[in-house]
Amino acid sequence: MKVLLVDDEQKFVLMLAKRLELRGLQADVSFSGQNALERIERGERFDVAILDVKMPGIGGIELRRRMGLIDPRMKFVFLTGHGSNMDYTLGANEAEDYLPKPLKIDELIETLNRLAEGPQAVPEPGN
Amino acid sequence: MDKTKDWFGYDSLAFFGKVNASISHELKNVMAIISETSGLLSDLSDLASTGKPIAPDMLKSCTGSIMEEIQRGFATIRQMNRFSHSVDNPVQSVNLLDVLEMVIALSEYLSFSAKTNLRSGPGDAPVVLTCPFLLQAVVYQTLVFAYKHTGPEAEFTIFIQPLDDSGWRIIFPGFDVSMFQVFPDVATATMANSIGVAIHCDSVTDRVEMDIPLSIESITALDVSPEIPGTAKPSRSRA
Repeated sequence: MKVLLVDDEQKFVLMLAKRLELRGLQADVSFSGQNALERIERGERFDVAILDVKMPGIGGIELRRRMGLIDPRMKFVFLTGHGSNMDYTLGANEAEDYLPKPLKIDELIETLNRLAEGPQAVPEPGN
Repeated sequence: MDKTKDWFGYDSLAFFGKVNASISHELKNVMAIISETSGLLSDLSDLASTGKPIAPDMLKSCTGSIMEEIQRGFATIRQMNRFSHSVDNPVQSVNLLDVLEMVIALSEYLSFSAKTNLRSGPGDAPVVLTCPFLLQAVVYQTLVFAYKHTGPEAEFTIFIQPLDDSGWRIIFPGFDVSMFQVFPDVATATMANSIGVAIHCDSVTDRVEMDIPLSIESITALDVSPEIPGTAKPSRSRA
């Protein structure tokens, strides 16, 4: 599974990418919505994009809409540090899943496994 | 009756909530990085236990990252604590530079905040007797309006200069005429008015000028004794 992580918190996405790579995923990062969008516009393709909702410039919800227009096959998971009911409803309605920060890697893996629909299930680290 | 208590109405409560939400968001980001980094260390430990070699640089990078984020968290908590205590004394003598520095720091937690510098002219410290909490709210709202217009890539400088015998002027660039149709909004104007702060929107220079009286006592009758820490008095040297 090829995953794109988009978050302006650079350390966060870099660490998360390493953890996903240890579990056998191909994880790539973008530090802004604009950069992520340009990559998709240039033809890069990912199975799942994991997007921070609140980012400077293009936020996660707008990014999801624009990326989805270019590649309708791509699936989306929102990550956010905001915890209001409104944010949750918005996130849950707009993406395949919505996970709060700090996230639990097991929950993310479970979500990615569900999106991969079994055959491409994400293995334990080192396997 | 203590009239100052009436100043902390819904608008100021909304401001308090907004700032606390942005601080908690910042802390969540800090915790998220610590969580992922410690999780990575745990993953690496699991690998090491199976006999796979782990690069020492990787371990060093992880622990360094955790330490940096803990410091970032402490700095955020210090700001939060300072902000929370700003309601302790409804009226007190404050240095405008301190107020602006704190509000700029708080506004940096917003995802759309621009880089903001602060500059003051020579002379005495710009000390005024005011309601610091409401002044913070007015300045914060002004910065939020400016940031929404300039975007996060912008950089601008706020100036403080002596006005005349009666106070100090804070100058905010980063506006334009179109924004003056919506700024100041009713809540900001009401809070500013309640502490005698005059907001001028200058469509020629595209900036907002905020005039702060030397003493709130000159514009409203106080029913409480103002807190004046130490010997600081609201004063400044003439330009």
